[in-house]
Amino acid sequence: MKILVCVKQISDTDDIVRIDASRAWIEYHEKTSFRMNRYDEYALEEALRIREKYPETSIDAISLGPARAVSTIRKALEMGADNGIHLLAEQNSFISPSEIATLIATVAKPKGYSLILAGVMAEDDMFCQTGQLVAAMLGLPCATSVIYQERFENGKTLYVEREIEGGQRECLHIDLPAVLTIQSGINRPRYPSLSNVLRARKQEILRLNIKDLRQPEPCECLACLSYPQTQLKGEFIQGSLENKARTLLRVLHQKALL
Amino acid sequence: MKAQIVIVAQHTSGQVDPVTYEVIACAQELGRKQNFASIVVVLGKKTRGLAQEIADTCGLEIIGIENEALEMYNAEAYRAALGEALMQLHPAYIVLPHTSMGYDLAAPLSIDLKAACITSVEAILTTDHAVSFQRSLFSGKIIAQIVPCKTPAVLTIQPGAWRAEKEKVTHTVEICITQMHLKPTSTKTICMKPSEHEGLDLNQADVIIAAGKGIGNEENLSLIFELAKIFPNSAVGSSRTVCDQGWLGYQHQIGSTGKTVAPKLYVAVGISGAIQHITGMKDSQVIVAINKDPNASIFSVAEYCIVEDLEAFIPALLDEYRQLKSGQK
Repeated sequence: MKILVCVKQISDTDDIVRIDASRAWIEYHEKTSFRMNRYDEYALEEALRIREKYPETSIDAISLGPARAVSTIRKALEMGADNGIHLLAEQNSFISPSEIATLIATVAKPKGYSLILAGVMAEDDMFCQTGQLVAAMLGLPCATSVIYQERFENGKTLYVEREIEGGQRECLHIDLPAVLTIQSGINRPRYPSLSNVLRARKQEILRLNIKDLRQPEPCECLACLSYPQTQLKGEFIQGSLENKARTLLRVLHQKALL
Repeated sequence: MKAQIVIVAQHTSGQVDPVTYEVIACAQELGRKQNFASIVVVLGKKTRGLAQEIADTCGLEIIGIENEALEMYNAEAYRAALGEALMQLHPAYIVLPHTSMGYDLAAPLSIDLKAACITSVEAILTTDHAVSFQRSLFSGKIIAQIVPCKTPAVLTIQPGAWRAEKEKVTHTVEICITQMHLKPTSTKTICMKPSEHEGLDLNQADVIIAAGKGIGNEENLSLIFELAKIFPNSAVGSSRTVCDQGWLGYQHQIGSTGKTVAPKLYVAVGISGAIQHITGMKDSQVIVAINKDPNASIFSVAEYCIVEDLEAFIPALLDEYRQLKSGQK
């Protein structure tokens, strides 16, 4: 079985994100560190667990992003993915989920994956679209927010549980090939082993420049970015540490909460 | 029936989910701004009762689409049924809640309809020549305005972004129920079952002290529990990240994929204030936020804001509290 895992590189801390001068996209502070989207880590870990159970499995990790995204693909290899694919986007600009999905689907289609996994969303933009779009573009069934999955002995069907609202799970049978978007908490992602780290260091990563792929037609465009106008409902308690503590206790006491 | 905005209702176990009325409120606003009419589509095995409930609450025309395969939510069946209905209705907008149903359906529908897709919408902005949809990026640190470049546009509405409007409906509302033929689906919905993480009833607590990823490490949870101890009938809650890290069980999680709470006092510690969390706690009577980042979005919903590192502030607060207690004796 061939599995593709979609991984996104995101900034580790979102408190130093700034809007660029044209208000068209964001720029990162030079000290920003980048890492793999947490939900994608769960997706990759799930793929690794499938391979442990069915050793004939191979796992490709794909990421679309600027040159720095290579480090996230490298991380996927360190965790245990077999191959890495980098869709290089040279410009630092907004790329909509439909464009990203089109590019991933273009690359995935000829490879005939049995299973495509992605995180349920990216922590930074939370669109919740890419996995579903890739599925629809490839004509595959899709289950989102997957919190449990298991393959039936026939090798053709998955039993899947989706985490839905109100503490419920929706249980379904879905035929392979399929796309699953993985919810956090499905597993505990592993730390890379030393042998995988050493292997990943030397391994070639397939790089495709998105300029050389079929150009997707944008369905949505980003008009502009702004900072939220924080309409303060309350007050900032001022003073020294002790003063703030005292003021808060007094307020809570007055309101009969303490 | 003709309408430019189609709202997809969400329901569970024969009840209309409250989020449906939030989506209707959003669609009504969009309709007023663009002079568009709205219609609600309800899918299910039996839809009469649901359709009537929605009609009585909002006064919009309703289409009920019935089939055995629509008894429980099934992405494939819903997509096929909606696809067919939407081909006939030709709307400019299809509006769904941003829930496990809404985001599951929105993207594939946009492919079927060759539509734009904008998820997690929090506000609508109109200028002379364009409508754009506002949503958050980076845990609410940045606001993006997104414009659909195609018609129709599929939108999912962030729960909590609109307030449900209930109007007194005096006119008769048209309800049209149709049986739709659907091909058997290959994806089978088997059943619904309760999640495994239960056991803590956060709704019973008068005071909730909630920890976010800003607490930095698992060890700092002891400070959160210490703080909770000084309040009678208190409980410890958390953001999803804290549960994902394994620092607390999911029974502590508050927000759109966890519990919705409204205690007398909610103390958010190290919580950035992403709308997914805010949705679950914004109706608390008094909200106190403690965060070292002065720009954290949680401060926009808090009544009392404290910009401090919890590692310094909570011990100081506990110290002051003990002094106060001993002084009273």
